[in-house]
Amino acid sequence: MLRKTSGQASTFLHLALLCSPGALAQSSPQSFSADIVSLDGGGARVGASAKLRAANRKTRIELPGAADGFFISDTDAGTALFVRSAQRIYLDARQSSPLTRIFVWVDPRDPCRQWQAAAETAGIVSTAEWRCEPIERASVNQRQVIEYRVFMPDGQSSYGWVDSTIGFPVKWQAADGNRFVLESILLDAQPANMFSIPSDYRKLDPQALLERIKHSDVWVDSPK
Amino acid sequence: MRINGRNHLAWGASAVMSFSLLAATVGVADEKSKDNDAADAVKTESPIKHVIILIGENRGTDHTFGVYKPRGKHQTISNILSRGIVNEEGTPGPNFSLAQQFLVKPQPQYYIGAPKAAKAVYGSRGQMPQPNTNGAPIAQGDSGAPFVPAVLAQLATIDPSADFNPLTNTILTTGFTGLPANTVDTRIPNAGVLPNGPFVLQGANISDDDYTGDMTHRFYQAWQQSDCSVANATKANPTGCLNDLFPFVMATYDLSDNTVPAVQHNFSEGNEMGFYDAEQEQASTLKTLADRFALSDNFHQSFQGGTGANHFMLGTGDAGFWSDGNGNPITPPANQIANPNPAAGTTNKYTADNNFSNCSDFTQPGVAPIVKYLEALPYRPEPNCAEAHYYMLDNTNPGFYPNGFRAPSPAAQAMIPGSSVRTIGDALNEKKITWAYFGGSYNDAVALSNDAVTAGTAATLNSSTALGEAALADPAHALGVAYCQICNPFQYATSIMGNAAQRAAHIKDTVDLLADIQADTLPSVSFGKPDGLLDGHPSSSKIDLFEAYVQQVLDALDAHPKLKAETAVFVTWDEAGGYWDSGFIQPIDFFGDGPRVPLLALSEYSTGGTVNHTYADHVSLLKFIERNWKLKPLTDRSRDNLPVPKMRDDQPYVPKNMPALSDLFDMFDFDHPVKQPFLQ
Repeated sequence: MLRKTSGQASTFLHLALLCSPGALAQSSPQSFSADIVSLDGGGARVGASAKLRAANRKTRIELPGAADGFFISDTDAGTALFVRSAQRIYLDARQSSPLTRIFVWVDPRDPCRQWQAAAETAGIVSTAEWRCEPIERASVNQRQVIEYRVFMPDGQSSYGWVDSTIGFPVKWQAADGNRFVLESILLDAQPANMFSIPSDYRKLDPQALLERIKHSDVWVDSPK
Repeated sequence: MRINGRNHLAWGASAVMSFSLLAATVGVADEKSKDNDAADAVKTESPIKHVIILIGENRGTDHTFGVYKPRGKHQTISNILSRGIVNEEGTPGPNFSLAQQFLVKPQPQYYIGAPKAAKAVYGSRGQMPQPNTNGAPIAQGDSGAPFVPAVLAQLATIDPSADFNPLTNTILTTGFTGLPANTVDTRIPNAGVLPNGPFVLQGANISDDDYTGDMTHRFYQAWQQSDCSVANATKANPTGCLNDLFPFVMATYDLSDNTVPAVQHNFSEGNEMGFYDAEQEQASTLKTLADRFALSDNFHQSFQGGTGANHFMLGTGDAGFWSDGNGNPITPPANQIANPNPAAGTTNKYTADNNFSNCSDFTQPGVAPIVKYLEALPYRPEPNCAEAHYYMLDNTNPGFYPNGFRAPSPAAQAMIPGSSVRTIGDALNEKKITWAYFGGSYNDAVALSNDAVTAGTAATLNSSTALGEAALADPAHALGVAYCQICNPFQYATSIMGNAAQRAAHIKDTVDLLADIQADTLPSVSFGKPDGLLDGHPSSSKIDLFEAYVQQVLDALDAHPKLKAETAVFVTWDEAGGYWDSGFIQPIDFFGDGPRVPLLALSEYSTGGTVNHTYADHVSLLKFIERNWKLKPLTDRSRDNLPVPKMRDDQPYVPKNMPALSDLFDMFDFDHPVKQPFLQ
């Protein structure tokens, strides 16, 4: 295990080795699908798995609890949307699911840039930069990965495991030990229309809903 | 299959990551057989084994059934049609002047019975404040009702726990005003020159499918509008409430400059005087139910004013008060304490239109006029104001978020600390009688609450604001802002909301009510409240949307005849919402009663289009539950201790033994069940 290093010199050497061009097979965008499995701190599965599709630096996440709703994220465009195809509508996903902020295409040398950008897309704004520190090479479901410690602006640390061959995180562990893991990764072509929104779909804005509710007794104004 | 939206993962990955949506997993409903209906085994005084209480928002009796003729043989009703105030087509009738409204010269102190010498009747056409669009929607929207048709249905599937259903999908797209906000509502025939009295909400451009302007409905305003004085008492109206200051109070309680026409303010103006004509097919679902079942025309909102206090009374038979969270009364922050005395130089602008009063202290602003009036009544009702208790008179969010998170700084967050007032839920728990409160969009509100806790806003903000902010960040659960926190009396209660097991067992969503009916697992006692889009509240909802909610529940029951046969459904409203009503009012204590609201009793034992006149209010629903399931009154000060009225033959709306409240049993004939569909 490389997690425990004994000195500064060895740490620098270790980081250089982990992130060297040889260590990071330069990834070109690929297409694949996978299941997102949720595990609690003890390793037990929690709920049903979600479905992930990724292609051309876009991702699509289908959640088990939202029958025909799904998320589409576009790393380069900086968007994350929640789509209801049956109703031909979509919304900014913002913080509706953490998965849109974790499972994004990343630069294996510095995944924190994309994770921070995804957080900003979700409306989480911080003046502090996210910082990623490579920890060690590891294996997740027989895939060779690099484990990163992720220093987040709120002072907490999480861990992300990035498969540099596909340029995508395959595991995430939150500060409290709970995890998301990609399983059944299948490198395969994904239909382009699974990542696009037809032009006749309408975009919803929850602000208008809120304004209507403010005219009801449901909404209670604070005293002046 | 049903969606179990409450099954959220508990493990947030970090302070910035909530897992709620991923965790909304699909679950399988318990497939219990009908033999598993636990409520069947509980001994009851009547054949009723289940009661469902469905509560709409803000409609009065004359407003809804003012022009209604009972279908039952020899049945009579007291309404503006029977009294000759209006004709069957809604036009002014021969006794129109009985409903005329007055204005009052400036007075030095708050009053609830205006001095006769200071009153003047609104004169010629148009002088009475006219109806106003207020905040009613001016156009269809993408995200707010009424929705653009292509958008609507889907809020339901964005969030499967929402109340939307095929019945509501069309009417949630219609009814916008097409007029500017806060202007005279010219959809109403003759608006601008309406005479002094009630007017029908019907014409080429307006019906029960249209959003209309809201009006203020708060405690001190409502007492003042009722214009109660023993000096006004008559044999038919021994409490002397004239109900003749409705538009005046609305036009003046927040008006600083007497020279500015009130129409320039965000006031509801004359909306109080609007009514629907049931004989002209307005609110036709409600009319059909009244035709087939039983209607009370002497059922009242239990608290003068608004939503929160009336629902609290519905759940407790009492009023809530500001406390230390452990049942000990303490003084709320100064900005919560009311002072309805007129500000200097104004006609009637309240000095501090706030939410709490210590009504045991007669020197507190606003208290003495009400207490003195009670003392002057022949039956001298007790104010029922405990020493040093500041009572919640107007809407204040509970100290618990929908997910049970307890506001750490209730004073700063303007949330009333956790309540120790005993609820009907506590009493049912003690007898192991099943019950639940089913609130529309509750599951979404839990998700938003989880978001707010994660974001830290739940610890600092008022829950309305915090959930609003969470909705913007978590659009997939945005409908959680439509869940009504103040409508759930149990959300105030520490014994229930502060106990995760109690919360999980008893606080549920509309989807759970329908699922329970379907699975024959309905609790003995159920409270059903639609969300803010469907609750029928003026401006934010429409009366036909509440009708659609009711129909959804009734259709589910119709599909389960065995369950239906032993179920009584009560349909009522939290309050009249500021709408004027012509009915008699029996003051019971400092807090109410207020104007009439309709009550429908729907069961095989309450049929025939009968109209019941026995005096009742929300607490009568508690009394029904207590009698049927053999429970004692909740506390020694709750209103369910009041006797059943002995009604007078010569004055059928006035109890001989005031104060008194019906237990509603006389709306039923348990010896002669009649099977019929609710609406089909």
